[in-house]
Amino acid sequence: MMSFMGHQPQSQAVGYTFSQPTNAPNKEHSFYPYTDNGGSTLGITGADFAILAGDTRSVAGYNINSRYAPKVFKIGGDDDTGEGAHIILSVVGFAADGQALKERLDAVVKMYKYQHGKPMSVRACAQRLSTILYQKRFFPYYVHAILAGLDEEGKGALYSYDPVGSYEREQCRAAGSAASLIMPFLDNQVNFKNQYIPSSGDGHALEPKKPEPLPRETVEQLVRDAFTSAVERHIEVGDGLQMMVITQNGIEEIYTPLKKD
Amino acid sequence: MFIARSEYDRGINTFSPEGRLFQVEYSLEAIKLGSTAIDYLAAVHYTTGAQHTILTSYQVATNEGVILGVEKRVTSTLLEASSVEKIVEIDQHIGCAMSGLQADARNLVEHARVECQNHAFHYAEPLRVESCTQAICDLALRFGETGDDEESVMSRPFGVALLIAGFDEDGPQLYHAEPSGTFYRYDAKAIGSGSEGAQAELQNEYHRSLTLEEAETLVLKTLKQVMEEKLDAKNVQLASVTKEKGFRIYNDEEMGRAVATLGGNQ
Repeated sequence: MMSFMGHQPQSQAVGYTFSQPTNAPNKEHSFYPYTDNGGSTLGITGADFAILAGDTRSVAGYNINSRYAPKVFKIGGDDDTGEGAHIILSVVGFAADGQALKERLDAVVKMYKYQHGKPMSVRACAQRLSTILYQKRFFPYYVHAILAGLDEEGKGALYSYDPVGSYEREQCRAAGSAASLIMPFLDNQVNFKNQYIPSSGDGHALEPKKPEPLPRETVEQLVRDAFTSAVERHIEVGDGLQMMVITQNGIEEIYTPLKKD
Repeated sequence: MFIARSEYDRGINTFSPEGRLFQVEYSLEAIKLGSTAIDYLAAVHYTTGAQHTILTSYQVATNEGVILGVEKRVTSTLLEASSVEKIVEIDQHIGCAMSGLQADARNLVEHARVECQNHAFHYAEPLRVESCTQAICDLALRFGETGDDEESVMSRPFGVALLIAGFDEDGPQLYHAEPSGTFYRYDAKAIGSGSEGAQAELQNEYHRSLTLEEAETLVLKTLKQVMEEKLDAKNVQLASVTKEKGFRIYNDEEMGRAVATLGGNQ
C-alpha cells in the first residue's frame, strides 16, 4: 500500500501509520444526524394575549455557536419581516430541524390563505402542525414546538407538542433544556399550584387559590424572572431573551439581554 | 363550419383555430341531452323569513340553507326507484346533485369526499364549500393527462355537471360545476334536459326571503313544470343543507309531506 512512496514504508520513517493494525477490532463508523443545541422556550397565555419567549443562545456541547439564534418565529406573514402574521411558533432542541419545521409551517399557512381565501385559525394550524410532525414519525423533527395565537373568541391560545406531534392546548408551557427548572415555577405562579388562601381553613382544609388569567405586565415579568433564574442554574441558557407578544393589534417583539457567562 | 369542426374535435386537448376545445363543448351536451342517465335538476338557495331567525353575530344575512331537488326518471315499472342515486353526500355539510353521466360523477364525488376528509384530518375543521368545489373542478380539468406517476386520470372530459350545496362559516352556498372546470355560485340554478325552462321559472320566482317550506315548494313546482311524467313522491328527490342538520336527503315520509304540500298549493 505504501510502497509507491519508496522502498521504506513512510509509517516507519515518521513514526505513525495510516493503516490499522491487523489485530485491531473493526472500526465502527457512525453518523448521528441530530445535535442538541440547548436553550429553552416558554409560553404563557392571558385573557386577550399570548406570549412566547426563548433565550437566544445556541450551543454544541461546551461551545457556544451563537449568542443570537432566535427560537421564536412569526408564521404566515406577508413578507420577510413577518408583518401580517397572526400565529407564532417556538422551537427548541435541534436548531436545524426547528428551522426546517418553521419554514414548512410558514409555507403551509401561506398556501392555506391562497387556497381557502381566509387566514388559518390557530386551531387549524395546531392540528396541521401535529400532522406535519407525525408524518416524520420515524425520522422526527427533533424539537419541542410551542404554537401560540388568539382563538376565535380573541382569547390567548397556546399549544405544546412533543417531537412526533402529540399536542395539547394549555395555559403555559416551558420546553427545552431548562424546562424542568421553569415548569414547576410556572405551575406555582400561573396555575397557582400549592398556593392556598390564607386562614381559609386548618391544615389540608385550606382552600386552594383558583387560577385566573393574568394581566400582561405580570406575565412579562414572570417570563423575565423564569429566564434570569434559568440562566443562573443551566449552562445552555443565556445571552439574550427574545419575547413575542401576540394581541389583537398584532405581534410585538421584545429583546432583553441575559447574562453571557 | 362542420368540416372545420371535425378536424379539431378528435384531439382531446387541441384547440381549434377559433380557440375552442370541441370535446369539452361536447361534454356539455351530454349534460343537456335527454337519456336515462340525464335528468332535470333544480336547486334553490333560499333565505329565511321571520320564523327561522338566527341570532349569530357573524352570520352575514339571515340565510339558512339550500334545497336540492332532482327528477328520478324511473324508466321501467320493474326498476327499483331507490337505486337511482342522483343526490349524494360529500361530507356532513356538503352534498351534491348531478346531471349527465352518473358513472363519471362518482369519480368526482369520490375525489371531493377524500378532499373533505383530508382537510378535516389536517386542519380539524370542515372544508369550505368553495374549496370543495374548486377541488372538484381541479379534477375535472385533469383529463387527457399522461398519468405515469399516479393512477391514470380520465382520458376525456367528465360528462357530468354538479350542483354542489353546502353550509360553512359564510352561510349556505350553491355552486354549479361544469366539465370545463369552471364553476359559478348561484342563488338558484337548474341544470339538465329541462334546465332552460326551469331556470326561467326560478328567475321569476326566486327572492332572497324564501323560507324553507317556500324553497321546497319552489323546487318541486319547477320540477313539475319541466317533467314529462306526473310528479309524485317516488319520482323526485329532495335534499337540504342547513346549519343545524347539515346535509340530509329527505326520507319517504318527508318526501310525501313535501309533495302533499305542493298538491295543496296548486
